[in-house]
Amino acid sequence: MNTAKSGLRRQNKAQRLAKVGKLARGKFVSSDKVPELLKRIIEPGDILCLEGDNQKQADFLANQLATLDKKDLHDIHLVMSCITLPAHIELFKKGMIRQVDFCYAGPQGTAVADLVKAKKFPVGAIHTYNELYARYYIDLTPRVALIAATQADRKGNLFLAANTEDTPAIVEPTAFSDGIVFAQVNEIVDRLPRIDIPADQVDFIVEAPYPMHLQALFTRDPAAITDVQVLMAMVALRGIYEKYEVQSLNHGVGFNTAAIELLLPTYGERLGLKGKICKYWMVNPLPTMIPAIESGWVESVFAVGGEVGMERYTAARSDVFFTGRDGSFHSNRAMGQLAGHYAIDMFIGASLQIDINGNSSTVSKNRITGFGGAPNMGCQPTGRRHPTKAWLKAGAEANPGPGSPPGRKLVVQMVETFQAGRVPTFVEQLDATDPGIRKALHGVAPVMIYGDDVTHIVTEEGIANLAACRSIAERQAAIRAVAGYTPVGLKRNKRETADLRARGIVQLPEDVGVRPSEASRSLLATQDIKGLVRWSKGLYDPPSQFVDW
Amino acid sequence: MEKFAKAFPSKPLPSKTAKPWALAGVVGSGNLEVLLERGGRPSGTMECHVETSIPGYKASWLAALADFAHHYPAGGTKVTINDQGAPPVLVNLRLRQAYDHLTKGDK
Amino acid sequence: MTSGPLFHEQTARQRIAALADTGSFAELLPPPERLTSPYLVQLGIPVSFDDGLVIGRAKIGGKKVYLAAQVGQFVGGAVGEIHGAKLTGLFKAAARDRVPCVLIIESGGVRLHEGSAGEIAIAETMRAIFECRAKKVPTIAVIATDIGAYGGMGILSTCCDFRVMTEHGRLGISGPIVIEKWMGKKAYDSSNRALVWKTSGGKTKYLLGDADALVHDGADAVRDAVAKLLGKSSPVSLKGVKERQKELEKRLKRFGDTADPDAVWKGMGVRNIEAASLASGPEFAALAKRGK
Repeated sequence: MNTAKSGLRRQNKAQRLAKVGKLARGKFVSSDKVPELLKRIIEPGDILCLEGDNQKQADFLANQLATLDKKDLHDIHLVMSCITLPAHIELFKKGMIRQVDFCYAGPQGTAVADLVKAKKFPVGAIHTYNELYARYYIDLTPRVALIAATQADRKGNLFLAANTEDTPAIVEPTAFSDGIVFAQVNEIVDRLPRIDIPADQVDFIVEAPYPMHLQALFTRDPAAITDVQVLMAMVALRGIYEKYEVQSLNHGVGFNTAAIELLLPTYGERLGLKGKICKYWMVNPLPTMIPAIESGWVESVFAVGGEVGMERYTAARSDVFFTGRDGSFHSNRAMGQLAGHYAIDMFIGASLQIDINGNSSTVSKNRITGFGGAPNMGCQPTGRRHPTKAWLKAGAEANPGPGSPPGRKLVVQMVETFQAGRVPTFVEQLDATDPGIRKALHGVAPVMIYGDDVTHIVTEEGIANLAACRSIAERQAAIRAVAGYTPVGLKRNKRETADLRARGIVQLPEDVGVRPSEASRSLLATQDIKGLVRWSKGLYDPPSQFVDW
Repeated sequence: MEKFAKAFPSKPLPSKTAKPWALAGVVGSGNLEVLLERGGRPSGTMECHVETSIPGYKASWLAALADFAHHYPAGGTKVTINDQGAPPVLVNLRLRQAYDHLTKGDK
Repeated sequence: MTSGPLFHEQTARQRIAALADTGSFAELLPPPERLTSPYLVQLGIPVSFDDGLVIGRAKIGGKKVYLAAQVGQFVGGAVGEIHGAKLTGLFKAAARDRVPCVLIIESGGVRLHEGSAGEIAIAETMRAIFECRAKKVPTIAVIATDIGAYGGMGILSTCCDFRVMTEHGRLGISGPIVIEKWMGKKAYDSSNRALVWKTSGGKTKYLLGDADALVHDGADAVRDAVAKLLGKSSPVSLKGVKERQKELEKRLKRFGDTADPDAVWKGMGVRNIEAASLASGPEFAALAKRGK
């Protein structure tokens, strides 16, 4: 007997579309009809994907969804990159969600921790971005996807502008499995600048009464960079970038790496490193990269998303940024994450907590934030085969055994030993191992970057080369050596530290040619946002909260 | 506020310095001022007085000051600190700056 | 543009060192004297050895001056009892010795924790400033950071002969948050940084004639502007005060109902607002036909 299913999904989709009836005119829905339409196209038990990452949000659709009640919508298996909006939390409070699989909950981290404590957060797993996108093609294929685009034309084609981000990774698995794709757009126009999503992958479109929420996530005001961060940036530049000749890389979003970007045209130039390092980037269009780009350091930048205010600048620098035929910036989170996994020499980022084994996390007992994309890049891609200088050099230091790859990606954690308010960064045990959190996550502690993947930790005290350590005890001693005056650091043994320093596993600033007294904000290519605008020759339009002129 | 004082063994300061005293840093959020003065103390110790707005970190203060006294010949000096929550790295940086000013002058 | 350290990034002591001829600064009541606020201690607030004001004798371009700088990071540069006494004493000494006085202001006004002493000190300092002006002893205020000159220090700065500003500097009586509190967010949104700077920032103050020089944000530029003004003075006369009053009445009539700060810039002769917004110091001045 033939038990294979045949055409059931397609039939079911047809039934749902039939229920919509005159609520839509073709693909187009007026905004006041959205709650009713959502009721008719979503069924209990559905895997529902709500688009929204750390930058753009299908916020109108999310807000409309949150107006519904449990009787309209229940037993939903929610899949989404980021739990960001109050409306997302509302769905849980109303008990509509049977299970959630997501990546990141930055702005709602405290609310999520509260939901976990109240046992109202039935989580499947916290993922990394590409891991979740991958599951959209395996066992978490959305039945309905609510997405956000900048513009639609009358046929239903979509333009995503600078913020392509997750959209293709959501639309493709949904559209090619007889799922329903519903897009909110800022406006409907006669002619799109370019087509990013073809109309035949889109079922419904609403012109939202307000433009989609866009977070200026990557704008770091140089005015807030401290002398200590400049010191760490100098140490990283000499001890890692210069040493390994790092050509391709990803930078996190913090002030530490912003300091590095702003040192390239000044300190980096003085060291004669231009053309030798930092040529190929997988990073969003960071405003703090403008001086390095204008000084000719950067060959190319591919991004997982856009950045508010960088539209005119990126369009004008199309030799560096990826742009469409229309001339405007293009991003893609899935492909960017893939590039960050396989194609770069180095990932460098910060963390809130690092334990004595080098594991790091941004989770605290009262705040569950998740991962985002950092672990996709902050890990060893053992599937990698192509060699580069940095990869081979780091690999040789790690002394690979007969069963390991010859190279290593540089995975660098750059942190001050204390966070604001004298909270130590270095701890014996991560808050992420809290039993309550682990239980909610089916026994898995939410570790951002595993100690085994980390090659270096940079602090204001110096560099610990974890890849060069030959035992767990040695790794712990190296971490204590750069943990400063935190309780973890105070436990270091002077003789052990001296021995690690003699072997080059621990390096103080002076060991890599940096004089701490030289570390000063005056070394930065510019000290404020206005300076970035000046560097960009007026092409950068910073968000208003950063403008004081 | 927490207040404490301790003297640390340190090699004697060079007999000639550019100035009799030096001040580094400012009292502001997350910052501190260090006043370093020469003369009048046993030449083998660095005498330290700390007033800090964040109590409970005496151990890391003492460790940072002891490290400085160990690495720099600062015997015979008096260190007075007004702190408004500076991280230890800044304590170290300001001590070095004050020491440089004292021994080599402002430039 | 300037090279070297930015003036608004420097500490009070660095600013003094940058303005004074090398090695010429002799601090009065220096930190080892430990003249600290007796009130802050009682409130559990950290004290500072100079109480937020560095004062002393110096030379600028070979000319003797009294030179002082407020420490904005220390309780907002606010004027307490010790701080205020140092300030008053300095200007009194300037008047007595007929030596010009230069004050780098970075203060929100009186220190709330020691309010009466601060108020009195500011009033006494103003009297000393007018004594200087009566004796044709130049008094110069430098306002070059976003802490600016507000409250009593805003008033005090306008009592001096001259004000040197940079685009970072702000000058006013009530601070933006206070204005918003009293007038409402619709009338004045203190979180709108562009609005705040367009109404109280150095460029606007220069356009309106409240600042006498607008310079680049560098110690060299500030020093040059100060040095040029050291030989001049603008004595107070009844005629001068009346003229100034007329100017202010004219300004109020002209711009009093304007909600758009750009309209003030345009009215004062700025043609290209965007270019002027990004220009600094003399480059800005060149783009504006500064009127009265």
